[in-house]
Amino acid sequence: MKIQWTWFLLILVMILSSACSTAAGPAETQPAPEIEDVRLILPYRPDVQFAPFYVGMKDGIFKRSGINLLIEHTQETDAVTLVGAGEVPFAVVSGEQVLLARAQGLPVVYVTAWYQDYPVGIAAPAESGIEGPQDLEGKQVGIPVLSGASYVGYRALLYEESLDPDSIYLDTIGYHQVELLLEGIEDAVVIYSANEPLQLEMMGMPVNVIRVSDYVSLASNGLITSEAMIEERPDLVRAMAAAFVTSIKKSMADTTYAFSACMEYVDGLDENTSSIQEKILQESTDFWEGETIGMSDPEAWQNMQDVLLEMELLSEPLSLEEAYTNEFLP
Amino acid sequence: MRSATNRAVSRNPVVPGWMKPLPVVLTLALWETVTRLNLLPPYLLPSPEAVAQRLFQTAQSGLLFQHLAATLQEVLLGLALGLAAATGLGTLLAKSPVAEKLLSPYIVASQSIPTVAIAPLLVIWFGPGRLSKILISSLLVFFPVLVNTVVGIRSVPEDLHDLMRILKASPWQIFTRLELPAALPVYLGGVRVGATLSVIGAVVGEFVGADEGLGFLINVARGMYDTALVFAAVFVLIALALSLYGLVSLIERRVLSWQLN
Repeated sequence: MKIQWTWFLLILVMILSSACSTAAGPAETQPAPEIEDVRLILPYRPDVQFAPFYVGMKDGIFKRSGINLLIEHTQETDAVTLVGAGEVPFAVVSGEQVLLARAQGLPVVYVTAWYQDYPVGIAAPAESGIEGPQDLEGKQVGIPVLSGASYVGYRALLYEESLDPDSIYLDTIGYHQVELLLEGIEDAVVIYSANEPLQLEMMGMPVNVIRVSDYVSLASNGLITSEAMIEERPDLVRAMAAAFVTSIKKSMADTTYAFSACMEYVDGLDENTSSIQEKILQESTDFWEGETIGMSDPEAWQNMQDVLLEMELLSEPLSLEEAYTNEFLP
Repeated sequence: MRSATNRAVSRNPVVPGWMKPLPVVLTLALWETVTRLNLLPPYLLPSPEAVAQRLFQTAQSGLLFQHLAATLQEVLLGLALGLAAATGLGTLLAKSPVAEKLLSPYIVASQSIPTVAIAPLLVIWFGPGRLSKILISSLLVFFPVLVNTVVGIRSVPEDLHDLMRILKASPWQIFTRLELPAALPVYLGGVRVGATLSVIGAVVGEFVGADEGLGFLINVARGMYDTALVFAAVFVLIALALSLYGLVSLIERRVLSWQLN
């Protein structure tokens, strides 16, 4: 009897020890990373198009990588300058900004591609007969500003199709493309393909859209950091890239969920605007699709440099290998 | 105890000519020192030489004068429009207490709208051409000139009005021979302020949407991270505003020479 009790107790102790060990986890489990505040600049203002970041924050994707993401908004050029000056570790900007900045000595590097297709396009009323780049000759085209992705995309299209820029009357109109096309002041307007065309159609003007990405591949929106960050905090750059890629994938897999995440971070999404904004998000995800999410395409970067040289925005070629990297992708 | 003469002298000290450019020289010296020591990278603070070089390059290429001419046209037309509207309405408000009571609240409310908020609307309503910039410029000119017009006309002492009435002057004679000349010092003070504000208005309009002008040039320079060109364009704008201010001051001295004598 005493021996049976002894065996019983021994087995009980073994079972309890095993349970405690399981609860503690396997010996090789890594402790949760320490979470640090990380500032990220996104251009302009909160928008559904930044859904991956909102999904990443809502689902704790960034936190699991040790990042408490603090989003700020400013002009794209200011974002690049702040990253280059070491004031902010990360920003999301369009590819041409990296080359233009590096030409002026700003040490910024593009580390994760987000948009695989350039989102800029030209919209014209459906009945205008403007369906392709060649139809733009002799027409008046409104463009927001003579800089940035809009202008680069517009000129890339002309360059690719061997169109003379002087054959088109270009009108700088600020960010009033929708209003001025509706009023008939412009024959066509340069737009973000996922955004303004939907707004125009909602306002009763079906449009033809000439997408730049149908004609040429260009380095588009992505995550940048500084050379100093890469040297001093490669771990953080890698963590940020990994979390970003995961968030992009999750947003693309379920845009309805992604939109619900946007509701927490984007003001002004109500029953009047939700429908169109959700469509804008869905359209946007088309531009994110690619063979490998996050990967930069060397051809796109070469095309971008060629366009900038043709526009004389670059006076000489840069070392593209220093402008972007796929090294930090998961 | 100091005499009145000594007290007047100490309130209006004579500044030797060589001291007048001193603040500029010191600022330039400090700027040069900061850039030579590389305390800030050139894309944040370019050196004075880099700015001067960009200024020279854009002047030589004609680009600077092209954009300066565009802004100057908007400024002058905006100033003219703002002056005309403000002087007319200001005179009406000064002469008609009923009009003042009716219109003043709306005029004051309209001035509380930030120009940067209304500028995009003006571009949408009037198009992205020169007209919207002229209107924005005139809006900034309007209020200071209006206020100074009303104050100037009403500042005429009542006994001078009595004198004109005794001399059987007509209302038109009272306005042209008494009120207008008497209001000029205050009125021209408003014009001086309006002249510098007209430059701001034109540039705000160009920031919102333009394909010419110094504000447009600054936008393009920002897009190229060409900070030296941004500085160069800003200095040209400063020179433009100072020139207009100086021109109005000159007109003021000529027109008011009777008062100084």
